[in-house]
Amino acid sequence: MKKAFARKYLGIPYAIFLILFVIAPLLVLIYYAFTNSTGQFTVKNLVGFFTDPNTIGTLLYSLGLALAVTIVCLIIAYPIAYSLAMSNFNSKAIIVMLFVMPMWINFTLRLTALKEILTAIEGNLAFHPFINSVIGMTYDFLPFMILPLYNTISKLDLSLMEAASDLGADSKQVFLKITLPLSMPGIVSGIAMVFLPAMTNYVVLDMLYNSTYIMGSLIGSYFSAYDWHSGSMIALVLLLIIVAFTLLTGGTEEEDKNRGALL
Amino acid sequence: MRKFIASVLLITTVIATLNYGPSMYSEAASISEVAEKSGVLTEESKKSGEEIVLKVCNWEEYIDEGGWDDDETIDLESGDIRGDNSLVEDFEEWYFENYGKKVRVEYSCFGTNEELYSMLTIGDEYDLVCPSDYMIMKLMSEGMLEPFDNSFFDESLENNYYVKGVSPFIRDVFEENEIGGEKWSKYAAGYMWGVTGIIYNPEYVDREAASTWKIYTDEDVYRRITIKDNVRDAMFAAMGAVKSDYLLSDEFIQSPDYSERLMEQMNDVSDETLKKVQDYLQNAKNNLYSFETDSGKSDMITGKVIANYQWSGDAVYAMDQAEEDDFILEFAVPEEVTNLWFDGWVMLKNGVEDNPGKKHAAQEFVNFLSKPENVVRNMYYIGYSSVISGGEDDNTVYDYIKWTYEADPEEEEETVEYPLGFYFSGDVGDEDYIITTSLDQTKRQLYAQYPPSDVLKRSAVMLYFDSGTNAKVNRMWINVRCFNAKNIPVPVVIILLALLGCGIFIIIRSRIKNKM
Repeated sequence: MKKAFARKYLGIPYAIFLILFVIAPLLVLIYYAFTNSTGQFTVKNLVGFFTDPNTIGTLLYSLGLALAVTIVCLIIAYPIAYSLAMSNFNSKAIIVMLFVMPMWINFTLRLTALKEILTAIEGNLAFHPFINSVIGMTYDFLPFMILPLYNTISKLDLSLMEAASDLGADSKQVFLKITLPLSMPGIVSGIAMVFLPAMTNYVVLDMLYNSTYIMGSLIGSYFSAYDWHSGSMIALVLLLIIVAFTLLTGGTEEEDKNRGALL
Repeated sequence: MRKFIASVLLITTVIATLNYGPSMYSEAASISEVAEKSGVLTEESKKSGEEIVLKVCNWEEYIDEGGWDDDETIDLESGDIRGDNSLVEDFEEWYFENYGKKVRVEYSCFGTNEELYSMLTIGDEYDLVCPSDYMIMKLMSEGMLEPFDNSFFDESLENNYYVKGVSPFIRDVFEENEIGGEKWSKYAAGYMWGVTGIIYNPEYVDREAASTWKIYTDEDVYRRITIKDNVRDAMFAAMGAVKSDYLLSDEFIQSPDYSERLMEQMNDVSDETLKKVQDYLQNAKNNLYSFETDSGKSDMITGKVIANYQWSGDAVYAMDQAEEDDFILEFAVPEEVTNLWFDGWVMLKNGVEDNPGKKHAAQEFVNFLSKPENVVRNMYYIGYSSVISGGEDDNTVYDYIKWTYEADPEEEEETVEYPLGFYFSGDVGDEDYIITTSLDQTKRQLYAQYPPSDVLKRSAVMLYFDSGTNAKVNRMWINVRCFNAKNIPVPVVIILLALLGCGIFIIIRSRIKNKM
């Protein structure tokens, strides 16, 4: 009894954090999203979101950018994570650290350096704004894709693949039918870690090369014009998109278990 | 249930301590700290602990923070000037020496005017803040400011350095402009001021090209020019370009009420003008390197861009940096019009109202910063121009300008005489205020820091936007900055949506499969 009592109190720091910094701001956000400047209830902001071609355009642009970033990250990260996880190399941990290490360097510094490197290559960043944005964000988010992939793949049961090739599958079939499906949870959480931040992280664009608004910058511009209401509505709609996405892709643990049971 | 109530209680206690605990602690700590430092406190005052706490909020890096190197002493005729301690600390000492009362300044910083405004409307309390022109007007119009006392304007008081030292040029601006029937000078004391213009690299851009706002559609700077990523500055530049022909016409320039008309033109936010501004900016966008928040200076110095919209103070900084790297940047103020901007100290009602002690300390803080040697320290440290010229009796500020920019005709190849009278005495031709400087300086730092009188003649203050205008202007800005859905080619939309649909479909299918 005494022990359970104490254990309960361990959760208090997080409960305070949750209430002060997650739930309270969320309620404020919802309040602002559905009121106008005189404090009355309105759905004008919501209607405004879907009828303004600028907002929709920015949303599509952000989606396109995030999609490109995610695909590029996946293409780069999967082979690396795969070969790392499958290799018999003893100091795997060190190599993994090499991939994570850029995250420990202040990201302002990293982006400033990247800007110089890209300028040296391209001459003038202004000619390829979209590609530069993709490169900048890929640079920033790549570790978030590699880590979940590496974790999932390194936990795969190698005997399954051996069994498949014993039963006559060639290496391509083994990969497509066994390895890839089994690493899906890693892919999904990698996508979740990259796709959503890429839609709103305008700081990367601001620092690197600032040409077209993405969703984050749009919210910022409403806020600096003292229009808390439209800005909050955009943030809220984005939040709902994120929640929907998480619901769709969530429950990876459960999937793991199911698979385990089936196999 | 009991447990639940207990934990709720605990949470509230923790929150309560969070609110009061640290502030109580820090107050107690700093009282003893101050007492130790000054070492002049009597036992009595220690006991009562009577202390004025002045909450000041200023721009980042906008006051001398001391710690100068040994070789940084400014040796003027009137004596050496150095910054060893920060001005805030020096003020606390000075106030105690002059008025025998302890004051502790709680100094904090803000990043943008909008950020400051949000902090104030959320309920943060400050006594003295330093926003820019339009934000001062906005705060004034919303009745959030406390007027200065009459004693603040009494020139016979020895410590009234602000009113004795403010430049006649700035004083006139503060006297002539009103919000809601009240003069700016009643609520605001200037701090730093300047104009806006184009900083350019003379190797690639000639001065003539940089002397018009139309440079933003000039193909010679294609993709190598930046503009500010804020609507007021971008709009000002675009307005100057759109109205260029009219503003430069003889009929307009020679009209007797030129200044008033110029200000009217630059504050014209009619739908028609906004449409033109929007079209111009959308056009210019294809000619721009980027919209920048503060990377413009470094992009100029590293050579990524060759021209950049800049405030005069930042231009001085960029030109100094470039010289250290052995190349030259110059500053030009477009012929059409320039934006006269300033930052000023204002007192907030919810801080100093009904608290004469605090109000006095706030006013004296402004006076202390306006004391000529402190003005010089600030100007040296920040690089912006102070609104203080020192008045008729005190030439410290003028001596500092001479110390910085004066050139010896025998050593320099080309020197010119550069009149500063308009600023120091109000008389353009005043012979007491003409300095001999190198020809280069008339295009560089000196020109940016103290523009010649013809530049100031074509300067206009951009007023604040009321909420209706603000919404309209912001809409225009979003139209410029956003990717409009109407501009996306239909096939791209279809491909995007198809990809997204496929993704969702695959995920759903795999989940359903797993469930079965």
